[in-house]
Amino acid sequence: MKLHLAASLVFLLLPLASAWSQSEQTDFLRQTGMIYVVVAVMAVIFVGIGIYLIYIDRKLTRLENQISDHDQNG
Amino acid sequence: MMHWLRTQGWKYLGLVLVLYSIVMGMVVPLHSGISARTPLSADAGDTVAMHVEGYNTHFAQAQEELRAWLMLDDSLTLAASRIAVQDDRHLVATFVLPPLLPTEKQVANFTLVIDNPIDGVTLLPEALFVRQDTVAPQAVVWQGGPEMARLHKGPALTFPFRNILRETIRNTYFHVPMWFAMILVFIGSVVYSIRYLRRQQPTDDAYAAALTTTGIVLGMLGLFTGMIWANYTWGRPWSGDIKQNMTAIALLVYLAYFVLRYSLEDREVRARVSAAYNVFAFAALIPLIFVIPRLTDSLHPGNGGNPAIGSEDLDNTMRLVFYPAVIGWTLIGYWISQLLWRINRLEERLLDEE
Repeated sequence: MKLHLAASLVFLLLPLASAWSQSEQTDFLRQTGMIYVVVAVMAVIFVGIGIYLIYIDRKLTRLENQISDHDQNG
Repeated sequence: MMHWLRTQGWKYLGLVLVLYSIVMGMVVPLHSGISARTPLSADAGDTVAMHVEGYNTHFAQAQEELRAWLMLDDSLTLAASRIAVQDDRHLVATFVLPPLLPTEKQVANFTLVIDNPIDGVTLLPEALFVRQDTVAPQAVVWQGGPEMARLHKGPALTFPFRNILRETIRNTYFHVPMWFAMILVFIGSVVYSIRYLRRQQPTDDAYAAALTTTGIVLGMLGLFTGMIWANYTWGRPWSGDIKQNMTAIALLVYLAYFVLRYSLEDREVRARVSAAYNVFAFAALIPLIFVIPRLTDSLHPGNGGNPAIGSEDLDNTMRLVFYPAVIGWTLIGYWISQLLWRINRLEERLLDEE
């Protein structure tokens, strides 16, 4: 499960990074002192924490289901 | 109240510190800088009309009080004979270069210095290379014009302007704290692993596992944010830089922790083996991140024998934002780990009841 999380992070973010690397010298992210590079970095952190939250959420859902099963059986 | 602070308050403190670092990191302006100039080189004896492009400058507002120099070796300066302002970001400074330079070399490189009361003093090192055919430093009579004195300080609360970095210097508060928080979270993880090996309490193992998960997430975020930053400052997302390679290896070592964990069925064996492996992984992390990158050249600042973060890379204003960001992200890392651990503890309790 934890490896799934790792893999999904890699596959989500790698194409983004490679797309940026091929762009032109005068692209959007280079405008106004490259402030959008900072925005991109913050977005990646937000997405990363978001994926981690989804992972924890699913773990919790599984536990809730187990508890309700347990209560029905017991 | 004290109980609340100890059990819950640190989580909110983490949120507040990260929020503070985002707001300060984005709102504080960069110091003025020189982002471009032409020509790049000239011959001794020339009259050079240097077109200067400023960044965050207020040339038009400063007008009459603008001063500019070419500076050689900290001591010899040559004042601009004329400054024509085009707008806040553009001016043309005219320098009359002397026919002989006070140096024994054929080429001298001058630093461009611009000063005005609004922006303070702005420097561009290696702004102009000047060639001379005749080398005769003894024969030079230097007439530099008005001396470089009474320089202005400029606004107090700014981040340094670096030509390669520009606004991306702000990534210091987002990319770098990921790594610092990762290290601090891994330290927590190894402490719990050692405690497990000593006392065999299952909760210690669960806490170590949760902290390791968070540490890997933080490390991966550090890696990806670094790749984006590198693409726009070093030219490529992955330059095979020693620190990039070594941190990637370190993360793989930590990923193997989970491969190991999920391949072992027995709970006690799993806890003991993964605790021992975690100690090994931490022992590998330290040389990979702190020692090897310093033994060789790196694109990262503070490597190749230098201290980790020198005053060149982090000035006092930046420290004001950087350290709260590190503490904030570390606290949030521990918070998320605690959530994982609490879920884990409930799962274990359920397993025990069945």
